[in-house]
Parts: sequence; C-alpha cells; structure tokens
Amino acid sequence: MAQEIQTRIRTLATRRAFLARFASGVFASLIAPAVTSGVLDQVEAASRERTGVGPALTPELPEGMNGQHPIERMLKDLQRALQKPVDQRRWAMVIDLRKCVGCYACTVACIAENKLPPGIAYRPVITETRGTYPNVSRRFIPRPCMQCENPPCVSVCPVQATWKRPDGIVVINYDQCIGCRYCITACPYAARSFDSGYFYSDFEGGSPQPYELLPSPEYGENRVRRKDASPVGNVRKCHFCLHRIERGQLPACVLSCMGRATYFGDLNDPQSLVSELASRPNAFRLKEEMGTEPKVFYLV
Amino acid sequence: MSRTEKILWGIALVGFLAGIAGLIQRFTGGHTVAAYGTYVPWGLWVAVYTTLVGISIGSFLIAALGEGARIRALQPLTGIALLTALAALAGGLLAIWLDLGHPLRFWKLFFSTSPTSIMGWMAWLYTVYGILLLVLIYLKWARPTSPLLRPLFGLGLALAVIFGGAEGALFGVVSAQALWESALVPIRFLVEGAASGMALVLFLAILLGYLEPEPGRFLRWTLLGLLLATAVLEWSEYSTTIYAGIPAKVESLRIVLFGPFWWVFWIFQIGLGLVVPIILLALSGERRVWLGVAGGLVAFTSLSAKLNLVIPALVVPELEGLRMAFTGPGLSFDYFPTLSEWLLAVWVASTAALIFLTAYRLLPAMRARPA
Repeated sequence: MAQEIQTRIRTLATRRAFLARFASGVFASLIAPAVTSGVLDQVEAASRERTGVGPALTPELPEGMNGQHPIERMLKDLQRALQKPVDQRRWAMVIDLRKCVGCYACTVACIAENKLPPGIAYRPVITETRGTYPNVSRRFIPRPCMQCENPPCVSVCPVQATWKRPDGIVVINYDQCIGCRYCITACPYAARSFDSGYFYSDFEGGSPQPYELLPSPEYGENRVRRKDASPVGNVRKCHFCLHRIERGQLPACVLSCMGRATYFGDLNDPQSLVSELASRPNAFRLKEEMGTEPKVFYLV
Repeated sequence: MSRTEKILWGIALVGFLAGIAGLIQRFTGGHTVAAYGTYVPWGLWVAVYTTLVGISIGSFLIAALGEGARIRALQPLTGIALLTALAALAGGLLAIWLDLGHPLRFWKLFFSTSPTSIMGWMAWLYTVYGILLLVLIYLKWARPTSPLLRPLFGLGLALAVIFGGAEGALFGVVSAQALWESALVPIRFLVEGAASGMALVLFLAILLGYLEPEPGRFLRWTLLGLLLATAVLEWSEYSTTIYAGIPAKVESLRIVLFGPFWWVFWIFQIGLGLVVPIILLALSGERRVWLGVAGGLVAFTSLSAKLNLVIPALVVPELEGLRMAFTGPGLSFDYFPTLSEWLLAVWVASTAALIFLTAYRLLPAMRARPA
C-alpha cells in the first residue's frame, strides 16, 4: 500500500514538473517581446512609484481626493463673494465637458427647484456625436443661460423688463414683461423660453396636480403658477438660481451634478475655483464670435 | 351701395364671423392654441402684422405723394388711400396686440419705453402715425381746403419712410438670426410695403370703379418699378447669401427655397406675387381688369414674403443638437400655424376690411370721383 502511494506521488511529481515546464515555456514566449522592449521595466517603475519609492504619478482622480472638496471650496468662494458689495461680484459657471456623463440630473434639479412647467427647461443638455465608426465619441453640453456680459436680449426689450444686474446675472421682471418674445429671437443660445401656459395636468387630464401648485422660489417671489397670471405669458430664463445664491447656496444644477462637472463662483475673485478653471487654456465659450462675452465657460 | 361693395361686405362679414372662433380660442386657451413657442417664438400673427403695416405704409404713400408732393395724378385716390392705410394699420396692430403674452400690458410700451429697443420706438411711431392718419382723414373729410393738409402730408411721408424702414430694422438688427441680420431687410420692407399698399389701393380703386386713366397709368408704372426693385433686392440678398455660404444663413435660405413650404416661395412669393404681376403690368397696357388682377395678386400674396422672412430664420436651431436636447410643448423647430392661428388671422384681416368698408360708407367725401 505504502509502495503504491510512493509510486503515485512520483508519477504526479513528474506530471507536475512537466506541466510546470510547459507553462513556463508558454509564458516565456508570451513575455519575451515585452521584456526585450522594456515594458516590464516600466511596469516595475510604476509599481515603485505607487508604493512611494519613486516620484508621484498625476492620476485623474476626483478633486475631493486631491485636497479640498470642490463643493466645500465653492461654498467658501460663495461666502467670500457675498461679503462684497453686489457690484463687485461677477458670477460665472464652468462646465467640464470631460466629466459630464449626460445624466440630465442638472436639467431635472433645475426643473424641480424652479417648479418649471412642461416645455420649459433652463438647462437642457445637448448631445453631440463626433466622428464616424469605429472612431466615434459622444459629448454632452449642458446649456444654461450664458449670463452674457453684453446680452443681446436686454437691449431689444421694448419695456425694460429684462436687465443685467450689477453682479452680471440677467433677470426678468415678470410683472413688467409684456410677452412680445423679441428677446427670445435675439438670444444666440436659445436660452430664453416662452411660458405658453401649459400644465402637466393638461396632458394627463384633470385639474393641476399638487406639485404644480407649489410656489416657485424664482427671484424670491414665491409665485404660484396660474393660467391667467405671470409667469404664464412671460419669457423665462435661467438666473443661476439667484434665490439660492443670495441665501449662500450653490445653484441647483451645480449641487446635483454627480460627475462634479459644473462649477460656480465669483469671477472677480482670483482665488475662486471658477477663476482658476476659466483661465485654463482648455476653456472656451459658445459662439465667442458674437461678442456677447458669455460667463459660462466650458472645459475640453 | 354698389353690388361690388355688397359682395365685399359679405366676404368681410363671413371672415369676421368665422374668425371669431379663433378669437375665442385665443382668449380661452391663451397661447397654448398656437403652434409657436420657445424655439419658434414668432409665427403667422407676426407675419400678418408686418404685412398689414407694410400695406398701410404703401397706401399712405399714395396719399402723401398726391397731397404732400403734389403729384396730381394720385390726388383722386387720396381718400381711398387714407382709409386703406388706417384700416391696415388697425388690423396690423390688432394682430400684434393679440400676439402679446400679456395684451393688457400694452400701455407699458409707452410708459416704460426702452430707448435701445426698436420695438419700443415703433410703439411711439405707430401712435404718431395713427393720430396723423385720423387727423388727415378728418381734415380731408371736414376741411378739404385746410392749409394744414400739405405740411401734415409731408410729415406723414417722412414718417412713413422712417417707420417703414424701422419695421424692417426690427428684424435686421437681430444678429442671432442669420437670415434677418442684413442691411437690405429694412429696404426690402420699405419697397415691399410700398408695392403691396399701392397694389391694394389700385385693386380697390378698380373694384369700386373709381380709377381714372391718369392715376391708373401712374400706379401701373410705379408698381412695376417697385416690383422690379423687389426682384433686384431679393436676388441680391439670396445670391450673395448662397455665395457667401454662412451655414446658418444658407440653411434658412435652403428652407425658403427647397424646404417643406417651397411652394410658398416659388408659387406665391415669386410666381403670383412678382412674375405674373410684372408681366401683366408690363404687357397688358391700360386695361383695368389686368391692372386690377395684378394689384390684387401683389397685395394678397404679400403675406408670403413676410412668412418667408419671419419663420425660416427661426426654424434653424441656434445650437446644433438643441432639437433633441429637451422635448415638450413649444420646443419644436417645426412650425405650421394651427387652425386657431389661421382663424384669428382671418378675423384680423376681416376686421381691417370692415373698418375700411364702414369708413368708406360713412365718409362719402373720401371717395374719389367715379371714373
């Protein structure tokens, strides 16, 4: 019995040795080109760097892991800006298109925040497909109001119902607007909407749903939307959630961005995150040739 | 009342009554009854407004040239031209008033006028022009020999030219809409408006039997000249646009020329509004029937030129991909007027016609001598 066991162990050892040798040969043939071209050296070097032996890599990690969390920093920037007189602030937004995943959370958050009716979205997300198969990529471009430095929509308004505030945000007085819609035609970014008077319940039958009767915090006015009163019949637009800013809160689209692609702050503050990002060489603005000087910057 | 007048009353009343349905829908349904919205904010009613204001300018020019510039050939038509100008202005203002999101706030145009807005200026220009028309009609009716008539007509002539151009500038200054942004647009508005107004007066004068040979001859050649000028302006605008190749502008023009409503351009604007009238005016001599047909064609197809300016510019998305970025009512780049919009447009035009016919009946002194 014991002899039989010894024989089987020897046989197994021989078989194992054969398989090990065979596998080594196959592996050696696979890695030989890599060894000769120095790939393994690089992998080894990277491994040393990761363990702190060599110089640090610059990985594409979320900012929160790299230091101060961007939300924290933007909130501090916001608080600092609010300490200044309103005419010394210049609110701006930076949208990193490399990080936007096209989840539409900003669109939805804006609608929920401002209680927007059907057909009105202050911040739609444009999907852009580039290239041809097999080299195809998709890019998502959120489009809030550009809060232009030279807003073409303001000068055309016949009744002075829309203007640029000292802090750069373009606003509308709903009680002054006559609903001529001239400003909509003048906006090169289609960032203004006409509130024709639709309710979600119009498409579902019946009377307005409770959520449609919630007051909108826009401009701090808390208006309840009715068919026969403003803002129905008015032009409406994104205002960077002015009511939130004045309370020291970030705009709804900024907070809801799960890819942390949207940044907000004071462009007049050189220490702010948006100042830092907007001055990067990879920042651009939509339709710069129009001379409108948008305050929404995109990073590519 | 002549048989023709009775027929005109009948048509206007039928249109007025049918259009009331559109008016009711406008007041009960607000702007949800219309096809325009956020992406195409202006539609049929704006086109009707610009057309009627253009007609008003053109017909007033006949009166102003006759009385202010002392062109004797046109003087027999002063009365009918003034009434046409007033009725068309009233119709145009009615169309744009109903197009407002808050019509009852129109008074803000006067008390909060923005000096940087051409639309703000227009509100005042329309007011001055409207008052001037009423004063001139009163003077022509009650005091036809008043020394005030000539200077007032002179003032009106200057005003008509200024605000005829300003009406076009309202579009021409909008750099966001490639098709509108052109120095030719104000000139086109002025020339097209002059042509359509003169054509309507020619048509009405022949229809009501008041056209004498001399004014007929004068209007024939003037109208022919204006139509040729329109053709040159349109050719100039379209050919340079295509050659320059600015994408958004070319796309708008492609929609005008070969889009789903190509027939509005080729059949109404060019065929019936330009080519046929030019042939009739140039080749048919002084025959009233053909002059009347030419006048009617130019006047009634003038809406097509305005539709082809207002809408094709707006149906091209400002940003590529916007069409699918978000959906909902009013977020469409395709526009075709709803039945409510058509009915209201008919109501506006019929109301203008009724204003003309009523004034024509109540103020016999405004009628020209029967030919």
